[in-house]
Amino acid sequence: MGALQSAPGHQEYIDLAEKTGFSFEQIGVLHKRFKQLSHNQETLRREHFNEIPDLACNPIRAQIVEAFFDRRNIRQNGGGTVEEIGFEEFLVVMSHFRPPSLHMTNEQRENVRREKLRFLFNMHDTDNDGTITLEEYRHVVEELLSRSGTLEKETAKSIADAAMLEVASISMGHMEPDEFYEGITFEHFDKLLIEFEIESKMNIRFLNMDTTTLCK
Amino acid sequence: MGVFVLCDQSLELLLTKTGHGLKFDRTALHLSHPAAFVFISGNKAEMEDFWAGALWALKIWLYLIVGLIMIPAMFGFSLGISETYMTILVKTLEWATLKIQKASSDEQKLKASASNGLIQREDGSMEKELEDLRRSCPKLPVGGNFTLSDCFYFTRKGIESIVEDEVTQRFSSEELVSWNLLTRNNNDFQYISLRLTLVYGLGIIIRYCILAPLRITLACIGLSWLVIGTSAVGLLPNWRIKFWLSEWVHVMCYRICARGLSATIRYHNRENKPRKGGICVANHTSPIDIVILCNDGCYAMVGQVHGGLMGVVQRAMVRSCPHVWFERAEMKDRHLVTKRLKDHVNDKTKLPILIFPEGTCVNNTSVMMFKKGSFEIGATIYPVAIKYDLKFGDAFWNSSKYSMVSYLLRMMTSWALVCNVWYLPAMHQQEGEDAVQFANRVKSAIAHQGGLVDLQWDGGLKRAKVKETFKEQEQKKYSNMVVGEDSGSNSD
Repeated sequence: MGALQSAPGHQEYIDLAEKTGFSFEQIGVLHKRFKQLSHNQETLRREHFNEIPDLACNPIRAQIVEAFFDRRNIRQNGGGTVEEIGFEEFLVVMSHFRPPSLHMTNEQRENVRREKLRFLFNMHDTDNDGTITLEEYRHVVEELLSRSGTLEKETAKSIADAAMLEVASISMGHMEPDEFYEGITFEHFDKLLIEFEIESKMNIRFLNMDTTTLCK
Repeated sequence: MGVFVLCDQSLELLLTKTGHGLKFDRTALHLSHPAAFVFISGNKAEMEDFWAGALWALKIWLYLIVGLIMIPAMFGFSLGISETYMTILVKTLEWATLKIQKASSDEQKLKASASNGLIQREDGSMEKELEDLRRSCPKLPVGGNFTLSDCFYFTRKGIESIVEDEVTQRFSSEELVSWNLLTRNNNDFQYISLRLTLVYGLGIIIRYCILAPLRITLACIGLSWLVIGTSAVGLLPNWRIKFWLSEWVHVMCYRICARGLSATIRYHNRENKPRKGGICVANHTSPIDIVILCNDGCYAMVGQVHGGLMGVVQRAMVRSCPHVWFERAEMKDRHLVTKRLKDHVNDKTKLPILIFPEGTCVNNTSVMMFKKGSFEIGATIYPVAIKYDLKFGDAFWNSSKYSMVSYLLRMMTSWALVCNVWYLPAMHQQEGEDAVQFANRVKSAIAHQGGLVDLQWDGGLKRAKVKETFKEQEQKKYSNMVVGEDSGSNSD
């Protein structure tokens, strides 16, 4: 344990490191960031996120911010959202974007992959019914596309419909005329993205950091 | 209670007799015991001696200050005391840094310097990255050039900006790479060796017990002299000598204030110093910037009229030479502000105006958006870059965290204030260039000279929110990619 240096709440850092898999340095950095964002308070609220200018430019900012307060992502039971999160929950959400460490069994890699996929799935599935319905898909497309100028609402809608149709045909094969496609379930989502190397594409890499974790 | 220490034998005898310990009745003593007379009068004499001694010490202290600091400040030469202090300080800090580095290299701990950034970002543009993402999952449905993988890109960018963004970090103090023996900068540094801790302890004693009272005295003297001196000069009629005297009084007071902060200022390129009829423009880190700049020349200030002590100072200053003070209501009227500034600038006898176009204090690692108001006036702009050396004391005023008074006290208990000032060559608005472009050009020049990051963001974001238009821009960009310029529907 010689590498541990003066982390405030030394014992808490060990717990957090075990829980989330970040290294001590990374936890320290994120803790500083947390304090900066929350203006040195104990908890973060939505308005703190809205103060970040870079984030304000992002078209799906609202979904990203909601993801931090979503009970499913912070590993609490039940659905719905919370109003404020502490540093531990912040870290748990961030851990979805942790790069996989080099020594990982296939099973661990698979777990990491499913976690990341789950996070992205939850972002779209806002009513927590386990499927991304047409409505929810449409909502995402509308958020991404501009509402003014070249695009009208109808266009966004039709794009979403077309996409959904294709998904349905891929997942369900041939559908009867009066069969109703409920929506993309998590299994479908997983299958669709089977070739997508999400564990290498969806992560945040820290610079100059000692990335050794406890489980080496 | 110290009196009892000075007391003589007679009191002790009395005490043992009455058995009262330290408590005794003065009047009873006076009447009953002859020795008490001696004691009481002896008591008084001791007290007077004490006060006389204290007064005498105070006098010596003041003479020392006047002789060693004020007189050199008045006439602009230096006795070399602060230079020796600075050399000792620099050597001590280097020694401390070496010790800390030696200790930490044993454990292979590297502290990432703030300028390198926390996370590694992709350098590609939006188009390139979306293409990459799409290619890696060809199975995803493509409806009108939109795929689900597109939102992954935005999600990742969003998380990246939550971890680190260019703007919010500018509103808190810069982080030191290595500890400079001040408690306030002790974030992660911990016990290294006994000697270091002793030096640190000595540093505290020196800073709080010797330097701070000295600096506070100087600041008070400087400020009161400013008020008195400028009022006195203001009583003179408008002869040539009045301008000369007024400049002299101003510079002298700012020099005293600078000594009051142990400021070491290095001016570069003094041939580019701002001249009358121009506007001097600089990056803003703290209110002390004014003291720094005015040490080397006289400027006309622009600002809001305040009440209280600041108001007194403002009114006194305006008596000796014209500054531009606005009422709060007047500041809202942009035409009025522009007109007054224009009038001041066009009068060639008046001093150059000093303006900080960022509008707020930023932490000296970057330069934020310059407000275009001062660049619309059409006068010659003299840019000035100010860069503080963080090792000796952090000059950034975090106005949401510290009030002005606590900020000044912090300044006075730092080691010193070291900064570099670069005067840049004058700039004019060019043909076909509007005020915003001109402002950006000046900003880049200042950022480049001072080694600061040039940001497009508005310093007002410290308190205000980002406008929705920025989000619109990103959305538009993406829509153009997905749907194309013509808004034809793609489904069938």
